Amino acid sequence: MALLELKNVSKIYGDLKALNDVSIQVEKGEWVAIMGPSGSGKSTMMNIIGCMDKPTIGEVLLDGVDISKESQKALTDIRRDKIGLIFQQFHMVTYLTAVENVMVSQYYHSMPDEEEALEALDRVGLRERAKHLPGQLSGGEQQRVCVARALINHPELILADEPTGNLDEANENIVLDLFRQLHREGTTLIVVTHDPEVAEAAQRTIVLEHGRVAREVINENFSNQ
Amino acid sequence: MLIALLSIVVGATILSGLVTIYIDVPRQMGAQFRSYGANMLLLPEEGASLTADSLQEALGKIPEQNMVGATPYRYVRLDMPSRQQSFISAGTDFSQVQKTSPYFSVEGAYPKDTREILVGKEIARTLDVKVGSSVELSYKTTGKAGDKASGGDKAGTVLQGSAEGFNKVIVKTDVVLDEEGKIASLEVDASSQTPGIGSLVGTDKAFLDQFIGKSLPLKLSGSQAEDGAAKDAAQEEDSTEAAAQEEGAAKDAAQEEGSTVDAVTGATISSQAVIDAINSASSSSDDVVPIENTEHFTVAGILSTGGEEEGYVYMSLKDLQRLTMDETLDAAELSVSADAEELEAYSKEISDADLGITARLVKRVTRSEASVLGKLQALVFLVTAVVLLLTMICVSTTMLAVVSERRREIGLRKALGASDGSIRKEFLGEGMFLGGLGGVFGALLGFGFAQLVSVSVFGSAITFRPLLLPVTILVSMAIAAVSCQMPIRRAVAIDPAIVLKGE
Ligand SMILES: Nc1ncnc2c1ncn2[C@@H]1O[C@H](COP(=O)(O)OP(=O)(O)OP(=O)(O)O)[C@@H](O)[C@H]1O
Ligand SMILES: [Mg+2]
Repeated sequence: MALLELKNVSKIYGDLKALNDVSIQVEKGEWVAIMGPSGSGKSTMMNIIGCMDKPTIGEVLLDGVDISKESQKALTDIRRDKIGLIFQQFHMVTYLTAVENVMVSQYYHSMPDEEEALEALDRVGLRERAKHLPGQLSGGEQQRVCVARALINHPELILADEPTGNLDEANENIVLDLFRQLHREGTTLIVVTHDPEVAEAAQRTIVLEHGRVAREVINENFSNQ
Repeated sequence: MLIALLSIVVGATILSGLVTIYIDVPRQMGAQFRSYGANMLLLPEEGASLTADSLQEALGKIPEQNMVGATPYRYVRLDMPSRQQSFISAGTDFSQVQKTSPYFSVEGAYPKDTREILVGKEIARTLDVKVGSSVELSYKTTGKAGDKASGGDKAGTVLQGSAEGFNKVIVKTDVVLDEEGKIASLEVDASSQTPGIGSLVGTDKAFLDQFIGKSLPLKLSGSQAEDGAAKDAAQEEDSTEAAAQEEGAAKDAAQEEGSTVDAVTGATISSQAVIDAINSASSSSDDVVPIENTEHFTVAGILSTGGEEEGYVYMSLKDLQRLTMDETLDAAELSVSADAEELEAYSKEISDADLGITARLVKRVTRSEASVLGKLQALVFLVTAVVLLLTMICVSTTMLAVVSERRREIGLRKALGASDGSIRKEFLGEGMFLGGLGGVFGALLGFGFAQLVSVSVFGSAITFRPLLLPVTILVSMAIAAVSCQMPIRRAVAIDPAIVLKGE
């Protein structure tokens, strides 16, 4: 059974169909890239998959549960337990240090554990900067903290909305390497991107246009050792 | 955030300050307007004295329906022998005191029966007496020995006398008179009289018993004075003179029944000496001697007024008059319901009435002034309410600003799995913390503020009320919690999706 399945999903704002009858499947452990021009509905889809929004029409099955029918509270629980989020603008709580930002995620999930949070920072190569505030970190470093925060609770599914949009090539590669690691560990990845290089790192690319799935491309050169 | 804290501090300061003043003001006012109730004072004129009768006559000048209360006062210094202290004691009429001095606050009860007293708080403290304690008070003065002594244990007056008897030997007598001035008991010391018959006057029961029930002065019965004196003179030398002196007077005296006594046979001169001694004592009753009257009193109540009354002992006028054997008054406080003009007229009438009384007007808190007090309290209450409302608005606005400032963070937290409940808890906790902190500062500043107001307006310090500290803190926290409700609703409503949109 697929980890995630969208069945004829539409999201309608007034007379605008941000998503228009979208049906996709993502298998457990799969790494999928989503591309498309601006306004094509990528973020709208991520919000729905990430349990932060509900479709106007259609079903969204996550681990066999139709999240389009769940209550707000249940959605929060699912998001907390199963999903790790990474954003384009590396959102961090500005008055908390790097390690504390990671611990925020732990706090809502279970119990803050500084040791574990430091290990997660170690994975993204930022153990030394654990006590720095976001303002004292570069954009790339901030995004790596966000990756650490997303993986701290061992989510089944990581959703990343343009994670490398604001990064230079070196930092982009660091983030992609982290994704490769996560993929090797069996984490399912859905990455929205404008960058073909980032999309090529994935196993499969779904292209959206005007709220519809325009095409799907399997990356035949995919390898992740 | 600092602004919210500041506004809570200000709110809590005003709250605790005004509440402190609110509680203290009536006490302060009571102390300020000491004569609340009484508005006219009657005093004896120079050289005249105030008595129950003249007071009654003066009161007659004021229409009965205008008279709220009239309280007589007599002030006397009484001793407390067991403590070797003395206090001013006021004799008064307790049913009237409550009308003319409504600010009197009595713990226990006003005295109702005789020998019950009301003790000022200060005295109660120094003597450590409580309601129900027994107190011994005594009045010391000087007076004529013949003055009737009061007090149960001394039914009558002891008169001591002496006279020269046979052979110039002194005969001493101790006579106790009963309430009607009649002899109740008699002791004669004639031990140094002529051994033999003369000393019999001290021991001859038949002779001594005759004196009981007789009034002074005494005479030797006529026939004996004549016969006996002559006969004795023959036996006892030097006695002719005494016998001759008696001769004329004895005749008249014999006619007065009940004041003659028979002499001991064969000891006329010694008998006469006994009578002389008793009579001399009687006539010396005009001499000034110290008098001390002591009575036991029960403390019925402890008086607190915040003024000098706390250093007085109050008892019924009757008790004090009995104790001091004096019925004059020192003053009377009147509470008259009348306007200033009428009052002026009454006081003039009384002063001009040739009663030996001057009437003086006393400024008092009138009923309308008392209601000003109530209005002042209402105003304080209102100001507090308004300030608290403003505090709430300020805190609420600040918190709203904080929420919108932290919109992204809140959205992020929610995206990371924060439930509505945990967001609510976080903000409520923050608000309560602010409230608590502001409350602590406010309570302390408020006390300072109240102290400042009290000292500058009323000229007296106020006591710190420890209970006000937790109350202020709790109220501040409650206010902060209420103010946070709207911002919290806003925070909870934030859509976590905003973070993905990169706003
Ligand atoms: N809350 C909303 N109300 C109305 N219209 C919306 C709302 N959210 C998104 N849209 C519209 O839906 C369409 C899809 O938006 P979406 O954010 O999914 O685009 P996108 O593919 O993520 O674009 P970009 O690459 O620029 O981020 C856009 O036209 C947008 O204006
Ligand atoms: Mg987008």
